[in-house]
This record gives sequence, structure tokens and C-alpha cells, in this order.
Amino acid sequence: MIARIPVFVLCLLILVPIQASATTYVQAAGSTLEFSGKYQGDAFKGRFPGFKTQMSFNPADLSKARLDVVIPLASATTRNPDYDQALLGADFFNSAKFPNARYTASAFKALGAGRYSAAGILELRGVKKPVTLNFSWQPGKSPLLTGTAVVKRLDFNIGIGDWADTAMIADDVLISARVVLNAR
Amino acid sequence: MISNSSTHWGSISRGLHWLTLILILGLATVGLLMTELPNSPFKIQVYALHKSFGLTVLALTLLRLLWRWLAGSPEAISGTRLEQWTAKAVHVLLYILLITLPLSGWLYNSASGFPLKWFNLISLPRLLGGYNPQVKQLAHEWHENGFYMLAVLLSLHAGAALYHHYVKKDDTLKRMTGKMP
Repeated sequence: MIARIPVFVLCLLILVPIQASATTYVQAAGSTLEFSGKYQGDAFKGRFPGFKTQMSFNPADLSKARLDVVIPLASATTRNPDYDQALLGADFFNSAKFPNARYTASAFKALGAGRYSAAGILELRGVKKPVTLNFSWQPGKSPLLTGTAVVKRLDFNIGIGDWADTAMIADDVLISARVVLNAR
Repeated sequence: MISNSSTHWGSISRGLHWLTLILILGLATVGLLMTELPNSPFKIQVYALHKSFGLTVLALTLLRLLWRWLAGSPEAISGTRLEQWTAKAVHVLLYILLITLPLSGWLYNSASGFPLKWFNLISLPRLLGGYNPQVKQLAHEWHENGFYMLAVLLSLHAGAALYHHYVKKDDTLKRMTGKMP
């Protein structure tokens, strides 16, 4: 009887983490990451092809949730070569020096009705600052995350010098993510 | 005299004529230099002004044609039939360029996918559906070639005015400067 106690404890130690652990997902095809902002009062849109998401998520236990998104900057495009040239250049993304941005989050909270909020950190152009991602989670075999975040471009020195004029380019840039996930 | 007669240009036609000239000289100078500027908010502002003044020329030209239609225009003072016909052709081409040059710029701007605001006041729509690299290239060629055509025609136009004034010593130039008795 006594000899069984360590076995029982061992079983608990093994089982508890398994039950509480979140499923780990990787990004699947059909995912998009887009940005939109205002230039001279006119809306512009662009996207980040080739971004990669890894996520651990279980709606029942948000304490174990993790999000890690790597965003290549050199391929970012508004589909307007004039804009893209400036966007990737030294005054904006400076993608030659800072090839990737990264968003990581480990603090999640439920907002109700399948919606959540992640208090994460965005590392962009050598600056790390908090950025909140609000998203909905559609569970299933391939769960779907649909979320938005507002990034203040000047927090990350995107558009420095004379470009900092927010009357020309608005400070707020809206990021929209649609991520299809598959269990790893 | 505000209106035109068969012998005189009135003050409205004269004012529009010289105002257009000043605008064109400014637009041409800035237009030829601005492409060399490094990309910066200053460049964007210079372009915005070029676009706004160009649109002003378009609006003034339409007003001018409307006024010319309402108030009429004086007859030629002198010249052979060929000279009068040539003068007329140059005038017609000048009017066409004063309309198509701003329009090609507007189209170039639209096809480049850029916004357009007249002196930061009035937003103008994109022509022919916005960003389009082929249209962009074509519109740019029209804008450039149109400018060179305008420069040639303006030289002919000004040369003819000076010829009338200094060689033929008639009132053709004087009636546009308002010094005709």
C-alpha cells in the first residue's frame, strides 16, 4: 500500500500538466496579416506576407496561453511601389537593418462570447513596447483567430524626421490578423 | 470694360490670360525641378502645390472658354489668311493643352494610387479606377510630352505677339495688355 503512494503521486505529476496544458498550434494556409493607415487623409492598406504564428491556447486555461508571431518586414507591401519603397526604407521599417518584427504574448484574458485579449510585446525596428491584441477564437479542428491591434507607428519610430508629421501620416495603424491554426 | 467686343479684350479675358501665364511659368519651373527632390514630406508638399495649381489652371481654362463663349472674342487685327489660320490653330491647341495637361497629371496621380486634395481643401476622386501601373506610365508620358508641346506652342504664340508688336507695329499685343486705346 505504502509502496503505491509514490506511484500515485507520480501519476498525478504526469497527469496534471497534461490536463491543464494548452494545445500548441502552428499557422496554416489561408492566414493573412494586414495593416491599414491614413496618408493625407486617404486610407491605405498593406499586408505582411510570410508571417509565422505559433500559439498555445486553451480557452479553459488562459494561464498557459502563448502567442509568438514573427513578421518579415522586407516583403511588406501596399501594392503601390512608390509607397513600398518608402515603407521599407531607412526612415520607416528599415528592413535592411531590422528584417523581422516579433509579437509575443503570454498574458491573456477572456472578454466573453469567444473573445479574448492578449497583452503582448511588439518588437519592431529595435523598439519593444506593449501592444494589445483583441481577438475572437473560433474553436475546431483548425481553429481560427481573428484579431485586431492598434499600433502607434511613432512608438516604434516608423516614419522618423519630417515623416513624423501625423497630419500627413496618421500615428494609428490598424493591424488585422486572420490566422488559421493547425495542431502541431 | 469687363466684357469683350469685336475689337477689344475685356478685363476678365485679359486677367484670365495673364493669370494663366503666371501659373504655367510657375508650374513648369517647379514641375521640371521637383522630380529631382529626394523623397521627403517637403517633396510631397511641393508636389501637392504643383497639383493644386495645375487643377487651378484646368478650372480657369474651363471658365475662360465659357466666358469666351458668352462674351465673344475680338477679330484678328492683321495678317494673311494663312497667318490668321495658323494663329487660330495655335490658340485651339493651346486651349486643348491647358485642359489635357492638368487632366493627364490628375490621371498620373490617380494611377499612382495617390490621394488628391486641391490646396488641402477639396478631395478629388481618382480617375479611371485608381492604381494602375500601365496607365501610370502612359499618363506620365502624356504629361511630359504635353508639356513640351505646350512649350513649343507658347513660344510660337509669344513670338507671334512680339512680331505683331515690334515688326508689324499693330495693336495685337496692346489689346491683351489693356493698353489699346
